Amino acid sequence: MPSVTYIAADGTQHVLDVPLGENVMRGALYNDIEGIVGECGGALSCATCHCYVDEAWAAMVGQPASKDEDDLLEGVSSPRKATSRLSCQIVMTAELDGLVVHMPDHQY
Amino acid sequence: MAIDAANPVPPTYPRRVGMDQVPPHVPKELIRSVGITYSPEFLADPYKFFAELPEKQPPIFYDVGMYGNYWQATKHEDALFILRHPEIFSNEGATPFPRDPDDYFYFIPQEIDPPAHRKYRNIVDPVLAPAGVAKLEDKIRKQANDLIDQFIDKGEVEFTEAFGRPLPVIVFLDIMGLPQDMRDTFVSWAMELLHSNSQERMGKAMAAITAYLKGAIADKKANPDDGVVSRIAHATFDGVPLSDKEVFGFVCFLFIGGLDTVFATLNNIWAFLAQNPDVVEQMRADPDNITAQVEELLRLWSVTFSGRVLIQDYELRGIQMKKDDRITCVLPACNFDPDVFPDPKRLNFHRPRQIVLAFTVGAHSCMGAHLARLEIKIALQEWLKRIPNFSLKQGFKPEYRPGGVVGPEAVPLVW
Repeated sequence: MPSVTYIAADGTQHVLDVPLGENVMRGALYNDIEGIVGECGGALSCATCHCYVDEAWAAMVGQPASKDEDDLLEGVSSPRKATSRLSCQIVMTAELDGLVVHMPDHQY
Repeated sequence: MAIDAANPVPPTYPRRVGMDQVPPHVPKELIRSVGITYSPEFLADPYKFFAELPEKQPPIFYDVGMYGNYWQATKHEDALFILRHPEIFSNEGATPFPRDPDDYFYFIPQEIDPPAHRKYRNIVDPVLAPAGVAKLEDKIRKQANDLIDQFIDKGEVEFTEAFGRPLPVIVFLDIMGLPQDMRDTFVSWAMELLHSNSQERMGKAMAAITAYLKGAIADKKANPDDGVVSRIAHATFDGVPLSDKEVFGFVCFLFIGGLDTVFATLNNIWAFLAQNPDVVEQMRADPDNITAQVEELLRLWSVTFSGRVLIQDYELRGIQMKKDDRITCVLPACNFDPDVFPDPKRLNFHRPRQIVLAFTVGAHSCMGAHLARLEIKIALQEWLKRIPNFSLKQGFKPEYRPGGVVGPEAVPLVW
């Protein structure tokens, strides 16, 4: 199973297994990781699963998957950066094994 | 204090009803009796009432009524704050349905606050997440068409009975793994519980539901399947199975939440479209915008409320609230907040994206929201494809009944 490293704003690291086909937001929720809220559950309606993809993975993960995601990222609570994504829109593939994401200080 | 879900006890905070039970910290000038869900003004046109509530009343007021005294909040930003701070505004004991005090249970996960809340959600989220419900799309589409087949040639139908109710209930029972032949019985129990406004009738309905679901759970324990009831019955945390009280409270909550809400939403939307053929035309001319159309219709026709209990004193918008006060976020009114939705009474399928409070927010945001959105989308697409020109039966005016889920009782249509 591919793994994802979630790094909290205070530097705490959590290395978790996230199944293929599952999204990065759910990986955090299933493991009680604070820092990803995901209150709408992946409906592209809340912008509370914001993450910063690590620079080393930015090209592999790519840009927002849709205009909806891009629009929502405009409204996130912590500052939007070049590698900002909504973690519910990053779906795990074999290529993303080892992915590193940084969680913002706050989601709302 | 966090509650113990395996050993439920009835809440101990005071139930306040009527003007003589207004606590002294409530400022006189904020006391109202607007009768949300039951006053004549409300029942005459609930959505006019919701839309005008932010104009006519202060953003937070203290409503004194025959079913209880509650703070009422109608600002979108206040609702977000209240619903996202369970450490102040708790859900524990905030659900109004009567239960047998000698066999008490919690509605799970509705009445459980974080962090315990998440472990229950994780049991069902895979089924109800977007990827989970997407697998149901073809089946729901076929079901919608099968229902339409039954009445399209007649040129008329009572929408709520023939489409609005059966579609979501059939889908729900499939997901739960409950038998379709119980459909009408389930619906009548849920209607009694949610709409009778009689403690006695609500209690009877609850007893019937309890007896049935206990039997169904026992059956799933013996004969596991891939439905949600079975999934909950066999769930474990750290190797320990859920207690009987937890399993029952979870199944019972889904049962009540799943039967009535999409039904009411569809009934509202169809009654509206039947009177607004220009809106139907807009939708048909722009089928690729269906997601935004569903969202805007949900904004205008949200059907329910989010109630919380204060578990500490808190000052909000300059108003001092006290521990044990109850507060309701009037979600259908928050969706008419002009600071978030400019020109709120106007339907606009091209609004900038904002949080529509149809499914609430925070930890308790509706777990069935993805399913509900999918059902509404499919229902609209299939219906408008096959019955694009329809109207309310001549002379008919939709009527509403009191209750925590708002929708017209009947919607007779002709085409």
